[in-house]
Amino acid sequence: MSFNSTRSANSGSRSKRSFNSLSSNPSSNGNNKKRKTTQKTLGVGWGSNSRSSSRSSFRNSPFSDFGSYMEVKNRKLQEQFNAEASSSSNSGSTSGKPIFQGVSIFVDGFTVPSSQELRGYMLKHGGRFENYFSRHHVTHIICSNLPDSKIKNLRSFSGGLPVVKPSWLMDSIAANKLLSWVPYQLDQIASEAHNQPKISVFFASESSLVSKDSETCVTGQIKPKLEDPSAKSGTIKETNLSESCGSMQHSEPTGREWDDSVGKNIARAVTQGPVCIERECSEGKSDKGSDVCTIGGNTGEIHDQASPSQPFVSVSSYITKRSTRPTVVEPSNWHRSTLHDPNFVENYFKSSRLHFIGTWRNRYRRRFPSFGYTSSSVNVSTRRTSIIHVDMDCFFVSVVIRKHSELQDKPVAICHSDNPRGTAEISSANYPARGYGVRAGMFLRDAKALCPHLVIFPYNFEAYEEVADQFYNILHKHCKRVQAVSCDEAFLDVTDAEVEDPQFLASVIRKEIFETTRCTASAGIAGNLLMARLATRAAKPDGQRYIPPEMVDDYLHELPIKELPGIGHVLEEKLMRRHIQTCGQLRRISKESLQKELGIKTGDMLWNYCRGIDNRLVGVIQESKSMGAEVNWGVRFNDLKDCHHFLMNLCKEVLLRLQGCAVQGRNFTLKIKKRRSDAEEPAKYMGCGDCENLSHSTTVPLATDDEDVIRRIMVQLFGSFHIDVKDIRGMGLQVSKLESTDTAKPGHERNSIRSWLTSASASTKEQHIIASLAKESANRDFGEQSIDVNQGWLSTDSTGPSVQIGTNLSNANVPLDQDSALPSIEDLDLGVVESLPPDLFAEINDMYGGKLNNMISKKKCQNVDVCNSLCSMLQGRVQVAINEVRESFGLDPDSANVISVEDKEDKYEVEKIHAEAVSGVEPSKAVISSSVPDKMDLMPSSLSQVDISVLQQLPEDLRVDVLGLLPAHRRPEGASFVALGATSKSESDKCPENQTGSINPILKKELWFGDPPEWVKKFKNSDCSVLRILADMYYKSGSTSCLSSILQRTLSDSKHFVNASSDAEEEAISCLCDLLQQYIELKIETDIEEVYVCFRLLRSRFTMRSEFVFQSYSLIYPRLQAFVRENYGGTLLISDGKD
Amino acid sequence: MERRDNQSPLGETARILVEFLEVAITCIVFLKGVYHPGAFERRRYMNVVVQKARHPELREYIHSAVNGLLPFLQEGLVERVAVVFYNTENIPLERFIFKLSVNQSYGSKVEEANLEFSLRSFLIKLPVSEALTKVLPRDCRWEITAYFRSLPEASTSKDAELWIPTDTKQWLQPPLITPLKSMNSEPLCLQLYLEHPSQSEPKP
Repeated sequence: MSFNSTRSANSGSRSKRSFNSLSSNPSSNGNNKKRKTTQKTLGVGWGSNSRSSSRSSFRNSPFSDFGSYMEVKNRKLQEQFNAEASSSSNSGSTSGKPIFQGVSIFVDGFTVPSSQELRGYMLKHGGRFENYFSRHHVTHIICSNLPDSKIKNLRSFSGGLPVVKPSWLMDSIAANKLLSWVPYQLDQIASEAHNQPKISVFFASESSLVSKDSETCVTGQIKPKLEDPSAKSGTIKETNLSESCGSMQHSEPTGREWDDSVGKNIARAVTQGPVCIERECSEGKSDKGSDVCTIGGNTGEIHDQASPSQPFVSVSSYITKRSTRPTVVEPSNWHRSTLHDPNFVENYFKSSRLHFIGTWRNRYRRRFPSFGYTSSSVNVSTRRTSIIHVDMDCFFVSVVIRKHSELQDKPVAICHSDNPRGTAEISSANYPARGYGVRAGMFLRDAKALCPHLVIFPYNFEAYEEVADQFYNILHKHCKRVQAVSCDEAFLDVTDAEVEDPQFLASVIRKEIFETTRCTASAGIAGNLLMARLATRAAKPDGQRYIPPEMVDDYLHELPIKELPGIGHVLEEKLMRRHIQTCGQLRRISKESLQKELGIKTGDMLWNYCRGIDNRLVGVIQESKSMGAEVNWGVRFNDLKDCHHFLMNLCKEVLLRLQGCAVQGRNFTLKIKKRRSDAEEPAKYMGCGDCENLSHSTTVPLATDDEDVIRRIMVQLFGSFHIDVKDIRGMGLQVSKLESTDTAKPGHERNSIRSWLTSASASTKEQHIIASLAKESANRDFGEQSIDVNQGWLSTDSTGPSVQIGTNLSNANVPLDQDSALPSIEDLDLGVVESLPPDLFAEINDMYGGKLNNMISKKKCQNVDVCNSLCSMLQGRVQVAINEVRESFGLDPDSANVISVEDKEDKYEVEKIHAEAVSGVEPSKAVISSSVPDKMDLMPSSLSQVDISVLQQLPEDLRVDVLGLLPAHRRPEGASFVALGATSKSESDKCPENQTGSINPILKKELWFGDPPEWVKKFKNSDCSVLRILADMYYKSGSTSCLSSILQRTLSDSKHFVNASSDAEEEAISCLCDLLQQYIELKIETDIEEVYVCFRLLRSRFTMRSEFVFQSYSLIYPRLQAFVRENYGGTLLISDGKD
Repeated sequence: MERRDNQSPLGETARILVEFLEVAITCIVFLKGVYHPGAFERRRYMNVVVQKARHPELREYIHSAVNGLLPFLQEGLVERVAVVFYNTENIPLERFIFKLSVNQSYGSKVEEANLEFSLRSFLIKLPVSEALTKVLPRDCRWEITAYFRSLPEASTSKDAELWIPTDTKQWLQPPLITPLKSMNSEPLCLQLYLEHPSQSEPKP
């Protein structure tokens, strides 16, 4: 009963009809033919089995053709359904109106519950069930899975009808009412049309969004205006905008009929800015003959028109925003969970508000360093203290809308997403919005339900920073004792202030804040922190309140306890059980019993607070006791590798924070949120849902902020959880027992060494950047033909591995050097030393009594010689490349011109290469020459001494490092100059592949690790066209790790699949063999089908077309059979030619 | 067959697997045409059309054989389950092998729907792979054979006694393998492939 069968049936009837129109003579012969074609199409539609039966039924049936047959069949099915429905619903429903009245479903494909069960439900609850899809009868399509092709052509498949998961029906039945289908929309479609900005996307487009803001407003108000005179043009525009954004799921009712040219104009207008919109409006006027022209950039006028009840204000502003997005965002559209985004952690924290608030303090301290006066200087004076608490009113909203005066009294909220159905949480809402019941933490869709014209803005962290800085500048101007609570909230101790009256001071400060930032602030004035804060609460919004000491008792008496800071849900509930709701009631309980019940500290706090006592002083900073990062949103892992990757990123993030505060930690805690086994998919999109919180921690003897150490600890901790990675919904890393880096004495010497390492790697990075920049410029100059030039550049790239050797070496030296005084001057890695910053260099030079300087200058002389020869070689290569370019340009009419330009470029490039080679080669040479003797005692002398099992246990990056070291290590020492020349030459000739030949026996399956897998990276740069095509196909086939689909794709895609050039053939064959062998090893145990499919494809389709593949295949075939025999005790039968 | 330990994830997996094997084996027997097609009737299992044996003895044989495997499946003892077709001289002609491995250390709850979804693909693939199989001679017979990783102790369960050593002769040469379907859905990894005698096998 699938959709397919109906479709083919339809097409059958269609072809039938066309046949009819063609056959002109209604003879009996024609009649015969007619019947034959019908049978044929039926056979296609229903499979061969039904052929005989259909024939017999047609013989003696009254139907003239298939169409009328289907009509009657449908009618009969309906009658049957009705009959059944009347019998079953009579017994079932007692309520007046059945749930599914007016709902008519069509079930497509495999569903749970099955289509028959669904039919039963529809019967019972007054709905309809269609056996065949029809746009006119069906109201909802039910399915749980759609093939790709249908997703792509959703419209042609669904006819614009909602495609809903079966759980919609089930939940509706459970709720005994018809629920909205929107949240049950098929995930595949929902995610497709999701306009929830993905986390990574958010920041990429942030700046552009901000810059478009003003524009957004303009269109926002034009819209209703246009809508007024002729409703039609307004809706046309809206439809078009949403169409042009590619979002089909626009929930507002929009007109379907629209005219193309206007749509295009609007789309253009949005991107081109207000001027265009104006023109567009006048165009609209000439079209519609109404008085739209008055808009002409007159914002004030427009503002009047846009009354708050106009729902289109918000709607159209969405549209503009949305339309700006896709242009920026397209490539990373899918990066919304840990599964897809390799930089998830980084991006997550970049767009996290909590993170902003959390790290804001560091920034603040850097900005106002004078602020930390010690508590001893605070004399507890006999004078009455007065404290002002200043708090910005709905900071996150008002900052964003401060430049839009027209939005001040409209409901506005801040949220990541503006998808009106989304489960993004409202982060902050302004007072008009709060009037509608919109609260922070609410799902956006609920907020939208409460207040449909709610305007949503995304975060604008830059603006927050700016305003927070202004805010604190003002506070510091008026008062010396400021205690920052948060970016928008602070306490001022104005006891000693020049201005006597704190109320007056507060009003001055508030006024100034408003004038500077265009945002309002509220202030509370009282005798201590607690009361000041409570006063502010009463003063909000945009007001101030003074609670004199004599009023404190009265004020507190009726105050609900949950208003007190420090009382959350748990504490409130505990007290509620004792029937305590106000501070007055709380006061009746003795301090002792409070302390006994709730703990000493909490009890003490409660007892004090309900009496308005607060002994805290303004300006006492609490050093943070722990530091960490936690991600509970968007965390989904497929396998352990994802999870480790995520963990490593988390480490990096925490590390940055530690270093930002110059502290090191001793205690490491890994927290994991594990999905409860009975938890359903969370209501919040990609949220964590109902979770168990697990945590493990470990304490190390010496405080550290070393990345490697922390990573190791994390891997260890993670291992102790024994958890299925698929159940992980959140992860957090907390570092506590912090020690300041400055006081950690032994770290000092180490630091200097560390800085060696970092500067070394930084310099390599720099070189890489330069190299890649140069490469880019070369690319630009030479166009597509610059491949050879690139290979020429490989010589600079070749410094990569060798410098890494240097880093490893010094890494290994760390423990030695800490104790002994200085490494001998010969051991020094000159390349590293040279790239040190000048002051450090001077320091080291001093240590060695100036010898270092001499040595370096000597080395330089030698280097220049080598480099010169190298450069001439490179020059030659570049020349060749340019010649090629010329050839390619030869066909151009103005080729002479081009060549002369090229000539200039040519010289320039060569010079550049020269410079590049000097800087690039130097360090690597130095590294090889000086580091080889040292490695002898650190590394095993040959590969056979490496314990493979240990190697495999190592984290991936470490393993690659070690492996990268080993082959280099085997190079004959002393011949460093020659070796250098040889390596850079060979590497520019071939590719780094020759190294892996020796690695393979050790590290099996290595080629298939990583994302993208190693082999893709390798093959991409290969000389062999076949390998390059394969690497290409990896991406084209959707970055799958499934070789068979890559091969399939290759077959269907590349007609120009030609023989490899003969020169690098042997090399390439061994590459391909390695790839295949490792794939076999990876899959043989679990998926012999995949191996089989791959090899059958290779044998039947590839070997004939490419001699190269044939050779590889014949090489690998015996190995394949050996593997199969080992695992399955037989030989794989690979027949050729069948498919 | 309700057992106490069915509540554990492995028990659950084993139960689903046994049910699946019963259906799949019936399908294979139908596919090979050992019996008259009228001995089977169409049924729906996991939303796929499958065959069900109508003859009570045939049904009983398959059912008891596969259910007898249940305790061993739970212990992870079973390595392969073979459906062997052999001729009158007890020489196998064709073998359908289910090679299975159950991750014994799998802790979390088995997603029944996921597992069934994966298993469904076997039932879809089976009827269309007839072309890969060999035509059997007229009076051939068949049996279900299970290969164990180690011999189960007779005392462990009564079910063990239902299993008897097979009389079927073995091939002398390593067979030719044609994979039909593989799946890997934690905690179960299941592969179905065909084995045919190799060309060098001495002809009877």
